[in-house]
Amino acid sequence: MTGTPTRAGLLRLCGCLALAAFVLLPLVQAIVLSFTATLGAEGVPQGSIGLHNYINILRTPDLRASIGNSVTYVLLNVAFCLIAGLPAAYGLARFGFVGDRHFLLFLLAFRVTPPVVLSLPIFILFARVGLVNSPVGIALVHCVFNLPIAIWILESFIAAIPRSFDEMAFVDGHSRTSFFVRFLIPAIAPGIAVAAFFCFIFSWVEVVFARILTVTAGKPITQAISALFTFRTDWGLVMAMTVFSLIPGVLMIFLVRNHIARGFVIRT
Amino acid sequence: MKPQANATWVLMLPAACVMIFVAVLPLLAVLNYSFHDIFSLDRVFWVGTDWYSMIVTTPRFWASLGRSALFSVLALAVQLPLGIGIALMLRKLGPRGASLMLMCLAIPLVVPTNMIAGLWLALIRPEGLGGQALSALHLTLDYKFNALHTWALILLVDTWHWLGLVVVMAYAGLSSIQPAYYQAAAVDSASRWAVFRWIELPHISGAMWIVLLLRLVDSFMIYTEVMTINAGGPNDATTFLSLELGEDIKAYSYGTAAARAMVDFVFVLTLVWVFVKMRQSGAPSGTRAP
Repeated sequence: MTGTPTRAGLLRLCGCLALAAFVLLPLVQAIVLSFTATLGAEGVPQGSIGLHNYINILRTPDLRASIGNSVTYVLLNVAFCLIAGLPAAYGLARFGFVGDRHFLLFLLAFRVTPPVVLSLPIFILFARVGLVNSPVGIALVHCVFNLPIAIWILESFIAAIPRSFDEMAFVDGHSRTSFFVRFLIPAIAPGIAVAAFFCFIFSWVEVVFARILTVTAGKPITQAISALFTFRTDWGLVMAMTVFSLIPGVLMIFLVRNHIARGFVIRT
Repeated sequence: MKPQANATWVLMLPAACVMIFVAVLPLLAVLNYSFHDIFSLDRVFWVGTDWYSMIVTTPRFWASLGRSALFSVLALAVQLPLGIGIALMLRKLGPRGASLMLMCLAIPLVVPTNMIAGLWLALIRPEGLGGQALSALHLTLDYKFNALHTWALILLVDTWHWLGLVVVMAYAGLSSIQPAYYQAAAVDSASRWAVFRWIELPHISGAMWIVLLLRLVDSFMIYTEVMTINAGGPNDATTFLSLELGEDIKAYSYGTAAARAMVDFVFVLTLVWVFVKMRQSGAPSGTRAP
């Protein structure tokens, strides 16, 4: 088949090119704009090409701070999801118990609940306990949709390990904690990486909770970008910031390219 | 068969506590607010089911519900067949080409939600690449004032955002098919449709159920993209359920917002329940997504 260009092969090639163009066109536009001085400034004539938008990011304290804020709450969220998710995933993978199916249904129901439904009481509740404007607050709220994902992914990795693996450790006299740290976690390291990837991404791109919980401080990247829209929007700066916000996600897609389907597993 | 051990609930505790704090308590609070008129947090009056009867007797609510349902149907009707078709095409490419295309298709999934529409608006500005292409073709995209164009743009943007999910999931399902199935089909000289219906579809159905649920719920409650593109306009033509809810929240009418949120939550919960029931009865138990 290879080497001889058939009509079907040619058609497929055109299909792929059209598809790639459709997906990449907005991104190409964003990258082009991010290197263009859309408003112009002293010494930088309008329309000139260069790194000034990226330099502006570094020069603007709000934008710099927003990058730090986003990274902080996203990493905290990953930590929360893994710490709370690992024991639950282990339990669900290894044992049956009264209410296990209801627990899974409960996770599913909140995984798909639109943030806008919960945003108002979460704001009031968090204001009362002092979690507004704090990265801990956003990291906790993002567990609504990320904890179920972490549990589902980790469960599927643990279930793939035979039960005799656990029993051998227990026969050797290891406690459950020691088994978790020394045996289970190394054995499902790829699963932990995949779960961490999805928690990272979904927390990184979320905007509704992140907006409502940052009133005066702790604004994330997404909010910093929204704040750039004015009557005279500097599209170059907006797009430089957007391109910047894409870097972690794109890098991680490459790292977990063979496991992307796992992020959308749903257990019922 | 897993051993039964109710003490396993101890392992669920950390996760259950987090979920109770960030999901169950807020939901109970919404339920409570929905029966009250809230002027400020210390001036709260019981109004019973007044908000609910007000919502269900407002024509605008039913119109929004209709629009949300129509949008969900359109999004699924476009994205599912297109995504499955693309996955089938990628199977023919060989592993390296397919992997490259899949990574490319996954990029929109990692774009911050509030910039999805922003990227497209930048593209179709008159100075943008898309805007220039449109004017070269003598086409106009009047998404601010022409309702049909607004709908088309929202559908296009949503498809751009989520097509990758459908393709990735369908591709993962197709990858699990042993070559022997195709050889058997070739021996029987089965038609292309028969191969799809009896070999490929059963292998992707598990993954497609998940995509169906996620896309149904997300498109039904789409908010950020619609808000960015035209804020529900022109003339409410793209005011979906979530935008009505957003209006109430922005106006600080907590009572109505809460009642609306509960109504929307019930819709979502119903979709989940139907999904679980259909999977339990319909899909064979072995078809779990990879």
